[in-house]
Amino acid sequence: MTEILALDGLVKRFGSRTILDGISLNVSAGEIVCFVGPSGTGKSTLLRCINGLEDIQGGCISFEGQAVQGNPGAIRAVRKRIGMIFQHFNLYPHLTALQNVMLAPVVVHKEPRAEVEARARTLFDKVRLAHRINAYPSEMSGGEQQRVAIARALCTNPHLLMFDEPTSALDPETVGDVLTVMRDLALEGRTMLVVTHEIRFAADVGTRMVFMDQGRIVEQGDPRAMVAGAQTERARKFLGTIHG
Amino acid sequence: MIQYWPLMLKAAGTTLWLSWLAMLLGAFGGTALALLRQIKFAPLRWAVIGYMEFFRSIPILIVLFFVFYGVPLLLEVDISPFVAATLALALHASATMSEVVAAGIASVGRGQWEAAAAAGFSWPQTMRHIIAPQALRVILPPSVGVFITTLKESSLASIIGYIELTRTGLLVRDATGGGFVPLLALGAVYFVINYAISQVGAALERRLHVGRRSDLVGAMA
Amino acid sequence: MGYSFTLRTIYPYFGDLWQSALNTLLLSLLAIVLSIALGALVALMRRSALRPVRVLGAAYVEVMRNTPLLVILYLVYFAAPEAGLRLSSFMAALVGLTLNSAGYMAEILRAGLIAVPPGQFEAAQSQGMSGAQVLRHVVFPQVFRTIYAPLGNQVIAVILASSLATAVALDEVASWMQTVGSSSFRFFETFVVAAVVYLVLCQSVNIARILIGRKLFPQGRRT
Repeated sequence: MTEILALDGLVKRFGSRTILDGISLNVSAGEIVCFVGPSGTGKSTLLRCINGLEDIQGGCISFEGQAVQGNPGAIRAVRKRIGMIFQHFNLYPHLTALQNVMLAPVVVHKEPRAEVEARARTLFDKVRLAHRINAYPSEMSGGEQQRVAIARALCTNPHLLMFDEPTSALDPETVGDVLTVMRDLALEGRTMLVVTHEIRFAADVGTRMVFMDQGRIVEQGDPRAMVAGAQTERARKFLGTIHG
Repeated sequence: MIQYWPLMLKAAGTTLWLSWLAMLLGAFGGTALALLRQIKFAPLRWAVIGYMEFFRSIPILIVLFFVFYGVPLLLEVDISPFVAATLALALHASATMSEVVAAGIASVGRGQWEAAAAAGFSWPQTMRHIIAPQALRVILPPSVGVFITTLKESSLASIIGYIELTRTGLLVRDATGGGFVPLLALGAVYFVINYAISQVGAALERRLHVGRRSDLVGAMA
Repeated sequence: MGYSFTLRTIYPYFGDLWQSALNTLLLSLLAIVLSIALGALVALMRRSALRPVRVLGAAYVEVMRNTPLLVILYLVYFAAPEAGLRLSSFMAALVGLTLNSAGYMAEILRAGLIAVPPGQFEAAQSQGMSGAQVLRHVVFPQVFRTIYAPLGNQVIAVILASSLATAVALDEVASWMQTVGSSSFRFFETFVVAAVVYLVLCQSVNIARILIGRKLFPQGRRT
C-alpha cells in the first residue's frame, strides 16, 4: 500500500505551551484514521500542521514523499491535494453553494468552468443537496452547510481528506446526515483523517483509532478492539466514559 | 507665544460653553422630535423624518450663514454671532439626537410596555418611570459623540466673527507674526479637549455595558 | 414682514453657481478617492505586526477624529508656504479634506477587515489559494459588503465637509451663497438654492448606493 503521509517527531508549541510533543505517525492510502481523546489535547492542531495552517517547531511532515515545512511553495502544492473540512464549516458567505464548491478548482487549479460545474453537480447529488445548489450559506442549516463543505473539499480531487470535528457544531438530528456522507466516502476507499468525538462512528468506519492525550499518542490500533478493551488505562477510561 | 496661553484657555472655555449650550438645546429638541415620531399620525412622522433628512443632507455652514445673515433680513432683528452659532449648532445636533433618542426608546423591549400597560400605567407615566431610565443607558454613549461633533462644528462660528477658540487662535497667529505654530497649538487644544471627552464617553459605555452603534460615527466637521 | 421670497432676483448669479457646484463636486470626488487610498494604508498600518506602526496608525485616526476640519484646513493653507509650497485654495482644500476623511475611511475599512471571520482565511488557504487569491475571491467581497453602507455615508460626509473650503477662499457652493447673498441681500433665496444643490448631491449618492446595492448584493442583508 502506498504511504500517503509520514509524521516524524512532530513538535508544536504555542509560546511556552507544548501542544504536540513528538508525534510520529504513518498513514497509507485507503486508511480511515480516527483521532480521539479529551478536548484540547492537540488533535485539531495536528491536522492543521499537516496542511501548514500552523507552523511546527520540530520534526518533519512528508506528504506523498514531499516535505511540508517552512517552504510556502511546498505548502501550497500540498494544500492542492488535501481537502479539509472544518468544525464551523467556513463556507464563503457571499457565494452560493454551487459557487462555493466551484471556486477552488477554477481559481486555484485553473480547470475549465464547464468541467468543474459538471463535477460539482455530481457531488451535490452525492451529498444529497441537489436542490440547494443556489442557496446561500446563511439560508442553510448546519448539516446542509457541512455537506456542502464536504462537496467543496471533494471537488478538487484530493488525495487525502481531513475532517476537524465535523459534527461537533451540529444539532444531534443532523449529525447523522453528515456521518452517512462520511461513511460513503470511506467505503469508496478514500484516505481520511478524522478528529471526532463520535466513538461509535470511529469504531464502525475507522480502520485505525489513535488515542491522544496531552500532545502525545497514547495508544493506537483497531478501533473495535480498542473500544472493547484498550491496552492502556487512560484509553480505557476515556473510551469507557464516552459512548459514541 | 506663551503669553497668549491664558487667552487661549479662556477661548477654550467659550467654545465649551457654546458647544454645551447648543448640545443641551439639541438634546431637548431631539428628544421632542423623537417623541413626536412615536405618535401614530403619519403626516407628523413624515414631517419629523423630513426635518432630519434635510439637516443631514446640507452642510451646517450654510445653515449658519442663513441664521446669521438671512434671519436678520427676514425678521428685521439683530442676531449676534453667538446666538446664530448656538441656534445653528442646536438645529444640527437636534437632527442627530432625534435619531439617537429614537433608537434609545426603541431599544426598550415591547415587554416593558406591556407590563406597564397591564399594571395600569398611563403613557406619560410609562415613559417617565419605565422607558426613559432604560433608554437613557443606550442614549448616553452616542450623545458624547454628538457633543464632540458639536464642539468641532463650533469652530465654524469663527467664520461669522464669533471670538471662540479658532478665532482666538487665528488672532494669536496674527499677533505673533503669522507662523503656523499657533495653529498647531490650536489643533492640540481641540485634540486634548475632544480626546478627553471621548475617553469619558468610552468609560461611560463600559460602565453601562452597552455595545457600540457604529452607524452613528461622528460627522467629519 | 417686509421680505418676499423671489427667486428671480438671483437668476443672474446662476452662472456662477454652476462653476461653484463643479468645484464642490470635483473637490469631493478627488478627496473621496484619495482618502480611500490613504485610509486603506492607515487601516493596514493598524494591523501591522510592528507596534510603532500600529500606534502611528491609531494616532492618525484619533487626531483626525478630534481636530476640527477647519483647523486642519487652516494649517494646510497657512503652513504650506512655510514649507516652500505654493498651494492654491483648491489644492489646500483637497489636502486638508483628504487628510481628514482618511481618518474616517481607515476606521471603516478596519471594521470591514475585522468582520471577516478567521475561518475564512483558513478555508481559503487550506484550499491552496495564494495570498492574492484569498484577498480577491474571499476577503475583498466580504469586506466590501460590510463597508458598503458606511462608505456611502462617508461619501456624503465629504460632500458636506467640502463646504468648509469657503474658509480657504475656494469658490464653491457655500461661498457662492455667502457672496451672492451679501451682494444681493437675498440670503433666503441663496440659502434655499444652496440647500437644494447639496440635497440633490447627497440624496443622489444615497439613492445610487441603494440601487447599486440591490444589484450587487442580491441575497439581501448579510448574516
